[in-house]
Amino acid sequence: MGMKVLTDSAETVWKSLNGLLCVYKPADVSCNNVCKTIAYKITSELNHMNCRQPIDYVSIEGDPSKHLTVIRRPNLADHPLVVGERYHPDDVRCTWSSFLGFNTSGVLLLGLQNGTKTAFYIRMSKLMRAYRIKGKLGRATDNFYKDGKVVEKTTYKFIKRHHLDGLLASMQSAHQKKMFELCGVELQSQTAYDLAIQGPIRPADSKIPVIYGIKCVHFDSPDFIIEVHCINEYETYLKTLIHEIGIKLRSTANCTGIQCIRHSYFDLDKALLRKHWTLQSIVTNLEQCSNVINEHQNLIRQDSVTLQ
Amino acid sequence: MLSKRIVFRLLKYNIREFSVKRKFPINPESEKQLPVFDYTISRTTYNRIYVWGCASTGALGILYKHNEIEYKTSQRRPKRSTFAEQHDVTTVGCGYGFTLFGVNSSTNVKLFGTGLNTDSQLGYHEVRNGKPLEVLFLPQPIILQYKNVEKAKIIKIRGGRAHSLVLTNEGVYLLGNNIYGQCGRQIIPDESYQMSRYIHHIEKVDGKEIKDIACGQDHSILVTQDGSVYSCGWGADGQTGLGHYNSESEFTKVQGDIASENIVKVATTADFVLALNDKGDVFGWGNTEYAQISTKDGSQQICNPIYLEMCKNVGKIRDIAAGGSFCMIVNDKGEVFVWGYGLLGVGPSVQSTPVPVQIPSTLFGVNDFQPDTVVKSVHCGMNHLCAITNYGDLYMWGRNKHNCLGLGDDKDQTFPLRVSVGGLVTDVVCGVDHNVVMCKPYI
Repeated sequence: MGMKVLTDSAETVWKSLNGLLCVYKPADVSCNNVCKTIAYKITSELNHMNCRQPIDYVSIEGDPSKHLTVIRRPNLADHPLVVGERYHPDDVRCTWSSFLGFNTSGVLLLGLQNGTKTAFYIRMSKLMRAYRIKGKLGRATDNFYKDGKVVEKTTYKFIKRHHLDGLLASMQSAHQKKMFELCGVELQSQTAYDLAIQGPIRPADSKIPVIYGIKCVHFDSPDFIIEVHCINEYETYLKTLIHEIGIKLRSTANCTGIQCIRHSYFDLDKALLRKHWTLQSIVTNLEQCSNVINEHQNLIRQDSVTLQ
Repeated sequence: MLSKRIVFRLLKYNIREFSVKRKFPINPESEKQLPVFDYTISRTTYNRIYVWGCASTGALGILYKHNEIEYKTSQRRPKRSTFAEQHDVTTVGCGYGFTLFGVNSSTNVKLFGTGLNTDSQLGYHEVRNGKPLEVLFLPQPIILQYKNVEKAKIIKIRGGRAHSLVLTNEGVYLLGNNIYGQCGRQIIPDESYQMSRYIHHIEKVDGKEIKDIACGQDHSILVTQDGSVYSCGWGADGQTGLGHYNSESEFTKVQGDIASENIVKVATTADFVLALNDKGDVFGWGNTEYAQISTKDGSQQICNPIYLEMCKNVGKIRDIAAGGSFCMIVNDKGEVFVWGYGLLGVGPSVQSTPVPVQIPSTLFGVNDFQPDTVVKSVHCGMNHLCAITNYGDLYMWGRNKHNCLGLGDDKDQTFPLRVSVGGLVTDVVCGVDHNVVMCKPYI
C-alpha cells in the first residue's frame, strides 16, 4: 500500500501530483474523456480540502497630514464565489503515453502535470503492449466492429481450433520477418546479423505496426479470443486483423471487443478502475508507478534495440 | 429541433454503443435478409505449390505473356503454380534447370516435366518429326511404362545436372544423360541423348526393393529397404563412394564405413555426399576441397564413406543436407549446424569453417513468444540453404543466384530469413537456381 494522504492541505497534495498514472480505460469512452474525468475528480476533491483563504484587502485610510490607519478587509476579488473554485480542471495537465481507441478498454498510462514528460519518453521508447481481442466468426461488418452494418454472412462450423492456430503461427513469423526489415539496418551487414541473433527487436519507424506474438487463447465457435503483443498498433489495425483472420479461414469475422492487458511493466493489476478514480487512489497509484519506473530505467531511457 | 443524440435516445439506442458516426441508424432487419455464403474448404489431398527463381529455363512452369518473356528472367517472390491447381500433385523433383511433378492419377500420365530438356531428362518431346524440344516452358506429360497403370504411384523424384530419377512403387525409372553411367545402364559412346526416347527401368537392386533416391551432379544413389546404398555415375571426385575414381555404369553397393549400417537418408547436390543411419550418425564421401571432411593427409577426394567424428558431440542427427560447398545437419533438439565454405548462415564474417557451428535458434523464430519452435528438416541447393520448422515456416539463406532465395530482392542473405508463402510448408525441393515448395493451405 502506498502512502496515505495525511495532510489536509490542498496545496501540499497539489504539489505532489506529478508523475505517471496507470488507469483502466473503459470501452466506449474516449481517452480525452478519461483525462477530463480524472482532472475533474482531482480538482473537485482538492476544492473540498483546506484551500488557500482569500488574501486580505489592505487599505490605508485617513488624512495623510494627520493620522493614517491601516485597515484589512476581506478581499472579495479573491473570493471563491467571485473568481471560482481554487482548483479548476483546466489547470491539470494530463495526457496519455499511448492512445487507446474509443472501443478499446484496458491499461492506459497517463502523465499528470510534470509527468507528461515521462509519458512522452515512454511513447518514444516504443514499449510493447499486449491486447486481448475478441472476434466472432460468421459475419463481416463495414467498420470491422460489432456495431457496424453487416455486409456479409458466412458459415463457420468447419473452422476448428487447429486451423486458427496454424494461421496465427504463420502470421506471427511473417511479422517477425517484417521486424528485421523495419529495424533500419542493411540486412546483409554484420550489424543486422548481430541484431537478429538477439531475438525480437524494436522498429525504427513509429508508424508501421509490428506484431511480435499472436496466439489464440480461447476458441468456442463462433467466438474466439486472440492475444496480440505488438508495437505501433492502432485500434482499426487490430479490428482489421480479426477481419483478415476471418477471410483467411474461408469465412468472415468481426471484432467484438479489444482489451489492452499490458503496457510494458504495467498490467491490469496496477490499473485503477473507474470506481477508484479518487484522489487517495490516484496519489497511491502515482507512487506505485514511480516505483516501477525507478526499478526499470529502460522504460524512459532505452540503450538497446532489443525488445524489453 | 431535435439533436441527433436526443433522436437516438428516443429510439432507445445509446449513442455510446456506436464507434462510427452515422447519418442514419442501422436497420437490424437488413442483416436478416442477407444470404449466408458457404465457401468451400480444401481437399485433404490438395497441395499448394509455390515456385521461384530462374524463369528463363522454363523450370518454373509459369505461363508468361508473350511480351513478358524477354524481361521476366527470374521470379523474385514465391509464385503459386497454376499447374498444381489443375492437377493433384503429390511429389516434386528439381534438377539443374528443370522440374518434374508427380501427379496422383489412375491413367499412365502420372509424371510431368518442365524446363531444360537438352538430354531428354524430361522425356522426348517434339513438335516436328526429328526436332525434339530443348526447353519446355509448361509442364508436359512424360509417359512411363508402368506394369499396373491403375496402382502405380510416384513416390519421389530427383534430378541431377542432366538426368532424372523417378521412384515409383514399381521401381526406379531413369531418364536423360548417361555419359558417365548415371542412369545405371551401359555407356554407349556417341549416344545422342537429345534424340533419346529410352527410359531405363530398374525394379530392384540385388533383389531388394528401392526405398530412397538421391541425385548428385552426375551420379545417382539408391537406398534399398535394408539400408544399403547403391551408386553409379561420375566418380572423378569419389562421389560414388565405390573405392575408386572411375565412372560406374551399374548400381554397385557402397562399402566403406556404411557397409553394415542401416542408412535411412542420403543427401547430395553436387559432388559431396552425406548419409544418415537409423542411429543418427553421419557419414560422408566425395569431393571435400571446401573442408566438408578434414582428412589427415590433406587429400581433397574421398572415395570410401567415412564416419564423421566431428558430428558426434552435436547429438543425435535427425536430418542432413549437402550443398555445393557446405553441409547442414539438424539434431533431435531441432538445432541446425553448418560447416564447409560459403554463406553458411552465421553472418557475413563466417565464410568457412571445417567443424560444425550452430546457427542461433533465434534466427529460426525461437523466442519468448514461440519457444517450442524447432527445425524439422533442412535442404540445400548448390549455393543456398533452407530449413523448415514445425510451424510450417520456410527459412532461406545463401547466395541469391537468379533470385533463388525468393526474398523479393537480388541480394545475398547471410542469415536465415523467412520466405513469405501462403501456406504451411511441408516440403521444399531445391534446384540449382530455382525452388519448388509444397504447402498445405491453412484450411
